[in-house]
Amino acid sequence: MTMVFSSGEAVGDSAPRFPRKRKGISGRSIAILVFLSICAAFFLVPLYVIITTSFKTMEQIREGAIFSLPSPITIEPWINAWDNACSGIRCEGLKVGFWNSVAILLPSLALSMILSSVTGYALALWNVRWAGTFLFLLFICAFVPFQIIMIPLIILSSGLKVYGTIWGIAIIHAVLSMPFLTLVFRNYYKGIPQEIMSAAMMDSGSFWRIFGEIIVPMSGNIFIVVLILQVTSIWNDFLLGLTFGGLGTQPMSVVLANVVITTTGEAAYNENMAAALLTAIPPLVIYFVLGKFFVQGITAGAIKG
Amino acid sequence: MALRWSRMSPQLALTPAVAITLVAFVGSILWTIYVSFTSSKAFATYGIDFADWARQYERLFKDKGWTIALKNMLVLGIGSFLAIVFGFILAALIDREKRGEGFFRTVFLYPLAVSLIVTGVAWRWMFNPSFGLQGALHSIGLTWISFDWLSKPETAMYGIILASVWQGAGFYMALMLSGLKSINTEIWSAARLDGVSFWRLYAEIIIPMMKFTFLTCAILLSLGVVKAYDIVVAMTNGGPGQATWVPGYFTINAYWVKSNLAYASAAAVLMLGITALIFLPLVLLTAWRERARTA
Repeated sequence: MTMVFSSGEAVGDSAPRFPRKRKGISGRSIAILVFLSICAAFFLVPLYVIITTSFKTMEQIREGAIFSLPSPITIEPWINAWDNACSGIRCEGLKVGFWNSVAILLPSLALSMILSSVTGYALALWNVRWAGTFLFLLFICAFVPFQIIMIPLIILSSGLKVYGTIWGIAIIHAVLSMPFLTLVFRNYYKGIPQEIMSAAMMDSGSFWRIFGEIIVPMSGNIFIVVLILQVTSIWNDFLLGLTFGGLGTQPMSVVLANVVITTTGEAAYNENMAAALLTAIPPLVIYFVLGKFFVQGITAGAIKG
Repeated sequence: MALRWSRMSPQLALTPAVAITLVAFVGSILWTIYVSFTSSKAFATYGIDFADWARQYERLFKDKGWTIALKNMLVLGIGSFLAIVFGFILAALIDREKRGEGFFRTVFLYPLAVSLIVTGVAWRWMFNPSFGLQGALHSIGLTWISFDWLSKPETAMYGIILASVWQGAGFYMALMLSGLKSINTEIWSAARLDGVSFWRLYAEIIIPMMKFTFLTCAILLSLGVVKAYDIVVAMTNGGPGQATWVPGYFTINAYWVKSNLAYASAAAVLMLGITALIFLPLVLLTAWRERARTA
């Protein structure tokens, strides 16, 4: 008991908040664990249902037992979803959308990371007289609904001849994520100790040299967090892809929506579920492999507000 | 801190960001507001009839679709608050019972990595009247349960709420959990020693201490509700009829389907207005926290 009252590092995260006897498990604990397990089932059931459905034949699906395991197991829905599922009149599957998403992702990642990290660095560590006003403006821009800027952006990008192209979507992603990402970078760089900056200045460092030689090597963590945040949000985006994508340049999520919504005749549910899984796999892999950074990313903006 | 001779570099580095802010955000917003007072149809026209400048807004409030959209936004907002409550309960239980923390956190949070389109497609299938959950429940004799919510106008919104809560609860759990973890450990043991009951501890100490976290969650959720679009498209595409229209859907529909620029702009301006109303507390909250931190 007394150790809990000792101040400082002795009380880590691992210290039980309510010291209890180590051996045995109390009734209350069991109740909590049972409740949490029921909740976990609620979160997992859709995943189970999509996975099993995607391996079933349509004959089995028509029997109506949604929870049954697939028998016989077939991978045909997966092949169809990837290769020849129809969205509207085009039957090219999701593969085109997948490669479009990849092609959108790479340039927009590079653009948005460079743009936002440099902007965040300049605002956090250099004397810019109007930095406060600009930050406030960025803060507002980060929350503006897309619809209010949609039409002028469509007109602008048509004027610049990038409307409907992969590059157009990529640039729009970088532009629209700039305010929020700049705030994230700025908050991170604000935590760099004065002394480091002063020493760097003394060393006759210029703006770009300090950034390249001192700041970037220090920002490994934040780069990974932002990278993951951007990869998942660009991959999962629907509205921008729908608005700025042309025929044949639409990202995967838009193709998925078209495949599922615009079916004529009886829907191939197994194919739809395989298509949904194919779209969800990249962000899910990131989540399960790099979960810690993912959580940091999604809570970064909210907590530092 | 900056040396005089290097003053230009940071300004130069900020040019792209400033240009983007002024053109893509400030300029575009002003443009949309201006156009909402014109009578542009498929193409932008810039003449304003001053005798009738609010025509788009008047039309909007007579439009049944817009009324439905606003009502649905409120329903979705109220319903989605379940995600915060649910998130808090999960976080509190996980935080209290350390066993399995990693597992439960991973499971509750994974839907967030999945896009709203995938979420919508998955739940659309679960709600399928003949082969979905309803079919499964009926086949084991529970014929009194109806789970074909999406096909009926009265219940379709609840289906969307359920899917949104499924997708978003983990996010609020993560925020709450980090809020709970930042509470000084001494409070827990002090409460324990004083024999404060479980419910009183949460109701009178923990929840008031987490008021910033709750407010942040509430504001983020509200902003998300105003923007809601993907989930509606994926689950019902606005249907049945106009039953699940929301402001975001209305605006995009007015532009793409009705090709009415001015009308879509007016709806977007109202969306911005609603966002501003929600946003105001966030600005105040930030100022308040800043003061609390420095005081």
